[in-house]
Amino acid sequence: MEHLFLSLLLIPFSWIVFLGLSFFARMDLPERFLSESVKWMSILTSLISLALSILVIHNGSLPISINYPAWIQVGDYDFKIRFIIDLLGSTYALLTCLLIGIIFRFSRNYLHKEEGYFRFIFLLTTLMLGLNIVSFARSLDLIFAGWELVGTASVLLIGYFYNQSQPVRHSLKAVVSYRFCDMGILAAAAWAHHYMHTTDFVEIPSLLHNIHLQESGHGGVVAMTFIGLFIIWAALAKSGQLPFSSWLPAAMEGPTPSSAIFYGALSVHLGPFLLLRFYSFFEHFPLLLWTIGIVGALSALYATAVGRTRSDAKTMLAFATISQVGIIWVEISLGFTKFALFHIVAHASLRTWQFLRSSSLIQDFFENPVVQENALIDRKLSIEKIVSRSFRRRFYVHALHGFHLDYFSGKILEGLSWPIRTYIEFEKKWMKINNSLMMFIFKKR
Amino acid sequence: MTDAKDLSPLEVILEKVRAKLPIQNPLHSFVHNNILMMFEGKEFHEALADAGALYRANSYWSVEKYKQKYVENKITMNDVNLGIDQYLLHYNNSETAKMLNLDLKDFYLRLMFADIAFNDDEIQPDIEDRELWEACAQKMNGQELILPQGGKKYRAKAYWEKYYNESLAASTHPYVIKLISSFLDQGQSFWSNPFVKKGFWAFFIDDVEVVRKYGTEWQKILAKKVNAYNGLPPKQIIEAELSRINIPMESWENYLLELLFDLKGWSGMVNKLETEPWQATVQAPNIKLVDFIAALILVETSLDEYHAKLHSTDLAMIYGREETISLRSFHLSLALYQIVRAFNVPIPWIEKLSSEELVTLIKNVDSSEKEHLVRLWHEAFENHFYREALSAIVSHDRSNNKVTPTDAQVLFCIDDREESIRRHLEEINPNIKTFGVVGFFGIDMKFSSLKHKRLIAQCPPVIQPSRIVREVPKNTKNAESFLKLNQLKGMSDLSLYYMSRTLVRGFLSTLILGVVSIVPMFLQVFFPKQSKGFREKFNHFVSPLPESEISLDHTDERTGYTKKEMAKIVEAIISMCGLKKEFSKLVILMGHGSTSNNNPFKQAYGCGACGGNAGVPNSRAFAKMANDPEVRIHLEAAGISIPKETYVVSGFHDTCTDEIHFFDLEFLPESYLEEFAKIRSYLQEACKLNAFERCQRFSLPRAKHDPEFAIKHVRERAEDLAQPRPEYGHSTNALAIVGLRDLTKGLFLNRRSFLLTYDWKIDPQGEILQQVILGGIPVAVNINMDYYFSCVDNDNFGCGSKLPLNLTSLLGVMTGSSSDLRIGLARQMVEIHEPIRNMTIVEAPLERVKKIFDNHGRLKKLLYNHWMRLCVFDPELNEWFIFKEHEFKKLEIDILAMKNYKTSVDLINKKTSEDDFAEIG
Repeated sequence: MEHLFLSLLLIPFSWIVFLGLSFFARMDLPERFLSESVKWMSILTSLISLALSILVIHNGSLPISINYPAWIQVGDYDFKIRFIIDLLGSTYALLTCLLIGIIFRFSRNYLHKEEGYFRFIFLLTTLMLGLNIVSFARSLDLIFAGWELVGTASVLLIGYFYNQSQPVRHSLKAVVSYRFCDMGILAAAAWAHHYMHTTDFVEIPSLLHNIHLQESGHGGVVAMTFIGLFIIWAALAKSGQLPFSSWLPAAMEGPTPSSAIFYGALSVHLGPFLLLRFYSFFEHFPLLLWTIGIVGALSALYATAVGRTRSDAKTMLAFATISQVGIIWVEISLGFTKFALFHIVAHASLRTWQFLRSSSLIQDFFENPVVQENALIDRKLSIEKIVSRSFRRRFYVHALHGFHLDYFSGKILEGLSWPIRTYIEFEKKWMKINNSLMMFIFKKR
Repeated sequence: MTDAKDLSPLEVILEKVRAKLPIQNPLHSFVHNNILMMFEGKEFHEALADAGALYRANSYWSVEKYKQKYVENKITMNDVNLGIDQYLLHYNNSETAKMLNLDLKDFYLRLMFADIAFNDDEIQPDIEDRELWEACAQKMNGQELILPQGGKKYRAKAYWEKYYNESLAASTHPYVIKLISSFLDQGQSFWSNPFVKKGFWAFFIDDVEVVRKYGTEWQKILAKKVNAYNGLPPKQIIEAELSRINIPMESWENYLLELLFDLKGWSGMVNKLETEPWQATVQAPNIKLVDFIAALILVETSLDEYHAKLHSTDLAMIYGREETISLRSFHLSLALYQIVRAFNVPIPWIEKLSSEELVTLIKNVDSSEKEHLVRLWHEAFENHFYREALSAIVSHDRSNNKVTPTDAQVLFCIDDREESIRRHLEEINPNIKTFGVVGFFGIDMKFSSLKHKRLIAQCPPVIQPSRIVREVPKNTKNAESFLKLNQLKGMSDLSLYYMSRTLVRGFLSTLILGVVSIVPMFLQVFFPKQSKGFREKFNHFVSPLPESEISLDHTDERTGYTKKEMAKIVEAIISMCGLKKEFSKLVILMGHGSTSNNNPFKQAYGCGACGGNAGVPNSRAFAKMANDPEVRIHLEAAGISIPKETYVVSGFHDTCTDEIHFFDLEFLPESYLEEFAKIRSYLQEACKLNAFERCQRFSLPRAKHDPEFAIKHVRERAEDLAQPRPEYGHSTNALAIVGLRDLTKGLFLNRRSFLLTYDWKIDPQGEILQQVILGGIPVAVNINMDYYFSCVDNDNFGCGSKLPLNLTSLLGVMTGSSSDLRIGLARQMVEIHEPIRNMTIVEAPLERVKKIFDNHGRLKKLLYNHWMRLCVFDPELNEWFIFKEHEFKKLEIDILAMKNYKTSVDLINKKTSEDDFAEIG
């Protein structure tokens, strides 16, 4: 089992290394070679992850830990490299390998003759490696490594058409949201190291007991709550939950298969995945569970309202995705973890499918016997007719503008940056005074 | 249109602006058009210069690309000379040549091969000739050339971009696109825009009201502005704003055009839905172009004011500014040096001219001569092809075609994609005669099929369909359950589409469908062909498509046809083929269409003559008409006697999968079956070879050698969800040949030609010729020009790469999450195309052809302004003519040697070079 797991990391890793070396050696690999190799790679990884999942279930879903020598050791303190093979991780890895396999096959024709095919393959393999690391990592530190790989691949694929300005702008938007929330992981990790000397989510719950006992000594519940909040914060951006919802619809700039795999399937579900990983920690803190639930519910409502006004295939799917992920958050907060995992798998599959098929819409509509000439497609819910027409209009316009999320987050940022701005103002004034002072002194001389 | 006198000056300008906007239909009814149709009144190159400025696009390939062709020997010196000759017919005045004391032809020749790059800091040639350099430097010492960059500029856009790096695309466009896409939406979003009935202007006003509170700074200014206008109608707002910016009225048109062309696709669509509301996918919303313009102007001026405030600049200085580039003595001497080197003039010549004269020379070379450069290359490139084509057709030995008995007559569409299958079919069995007629078979109908009742116009877009024809089930009882199930399936598809994107219902459908959806996804991605077969079997099992027929009954004025009308339709097509009596036992009609999956441009691959749809209904209807005994009696009166034993079979050729289908075979008398089976097998064999020929253009090695594999491969392509190039469509089309098949039978044309059958012998009045030409040539030119423009500048005339396309409002596609509505064809559709204007070759007495072209407004424009080329073979005089310099001249051409192959397959297997033409047989 250990070998199976290890090969899931090593196969994409060695492929990345090979691609990287070939790039620096200016080898210019032919497209056919690339597509054939990724075909075998995805078949192999899919089979391995399938075997792994079967073994895990066969073992009665008991988690298995795999320990490697510590990465850094300082005195008696060490950063452990430890993985865990359990139902959650192996399911996610299986989903990853299968969907990426499908995407690889899809791109073989879709990106045929495309200059960026090499880049695309490289980044998708990076995604695979990142996700497999996240799936099996046993500590926050390791998760962060995979997390970053996924983020980087995601951002670079949004900017796939880097010679146009909009994709670059929107990938910048994504990178800012990502980095802002990555601070959450780092903060949580640092704090956890400080308080518990570990970020291992298998160990943490058992430590909690002690902490509860010596509440006053360790800063206790407050510290734990903050760690939890930081983890939630970290999960926000990846899954496009409020208030980080505006980058996701804007991220639909790359080739369709990359939008499908990142924002319909694998990258967006990393948020709930992280929460599931730490569920045994969260469940001790109702406040954290409430936070998860409220954020999820608000995001779901928000995204569905905004999504209903969107008239283009991809942004519309992006909002639909945010709203379903919001529901998954709510499920987690209610403690339905198994169900949430099932929901993740189902949702990821459905959205990938819808993204890949998004170019068929005109054909679908046109060939649908229900869609007739000169009759607006009736799609209103009767429930919406409860409210007055003018209210509906106002609501529509607000929803169209995403309920001014950018405006409000701008305001919040403005508030947060108040100390800095005040300081800058102060510095400017000080420089002026300083200058005139200097002038005065120099003149005297 | 109302009388020009009743219109206010602004309205007159608006009409002019309207005429220049892109004319593309919503994608569901996409038709190939010359996208510059409104420029056809101008000479080709001049029109392209205008359009290039308007679309901010290159109207030709880059000079480098043509030069590359020269290196590859795709353009020879001979072509260059001929190209210059051709060009000189209309552009025969050059100050520069005079100054350089060069013969104009010599001058152009040198210009083409000169590498002149100045006022570009990055490219600097090596100075090899020091002496010359000294002379140039001395002459240019202290000189300055100021080059104005266009006239006065009334838009601040470029200014912000240049000096402050602020782009509209980042600030105002997302806002405008959000409004317009949600307003024009035809049913893609869950909520339809609640302002659809009230109109766009009301929507804009209400929206601005909301934005006032929560918007960015420029949006707040916008809100103030809108408030200040206090309910004024859009037209007056436009007038007020334009006057406020102080634009002289003569510049209004340009200003508005420039504004609209920032979002040319959306502007064009707004215009389309206003002027031709029936083109809407479902229903055109209440929008007027003035509303959109007013919104755009207000948004832009608000942004200007905001920027002006932000950067503390004075708007009055920016509006109406004049921008210049000045070349100083260093750059000037560099330019002069390059010119002298390029044109190989002696140094003393420099000494003779004054510095001022030299500066003028440089100015001329920089502005006008550069423009000529690319045109000359383009002409040379086209000439290469024309020369090859004409040489092949002129030299083609027609006496080879012995008169043979006729086994069957097969009527194909004129489409360039049918050229190859006709060739293969004739090679397989020389006794099968093929014809090329317009694929809608002259039936101007709106058709409603059993599967989707929606009425679809099955005729060229220039024709208003006059009748409705329906497909009806033979047995109503059987059909009922099918219709019900079909309706149900439609309902469930539609509600699933909306539901899966909402919250609660989305939750439920995700849980139910989610994991299941991995199965069809897996199958469709990995086994596209098999999964289609499975789906079809399943559908057939659940609710088999009931047997049906086409009902042509004339029940009221708008439905069906009378027998007399049917006879007229049949007569027209039959006489186009030159048939009067000599009918074979089986006459087969081959309508055509194209299967593709996940492809927003499906319409572009269909039968152009059927409005981009498949030609099945037309083929079925025509067969029914032609088999009708009563119709045949009427035909007899018109001099066309179809023998009793002749039977017309309706068939269909799928140009993507290379499958053929036949319809209504149950009416076929049993005694015909054996014969029919034979013909059918020939056709199937031809399809296979056709697929094989097509696969030469794709890049799958095995399909290039193995016909059996090729036919499997093309079928898979059609069903592949991920395939951006199901087929290459009309790519490489460049010719249209009107005449008897004998003219080109046995000639390999490499799928580059439309083939229209016309028999000059039975048409002394030229009436049939007129029908043939008017029915086919404008379509061919439209297709040709559409490909031309999408090919030369795919980003600005076309719609860019297919990869990030994002379907919007059920009308068109955007690139990425939000962009202009894209026009034209995708890069993957035109990547193998070569921009060559259509050359039409007609076999008919010259006078007949002349009359038709001179009397038809659009054709005359196309011909005289060089949007197409025309060549005539007069069989009475046995002489070839070419249209040049507004008249027909005898064609003089060097005959090029052509390779000879046994069969087309032989050619494909042995082919080494990329010749387009060859003798077969």
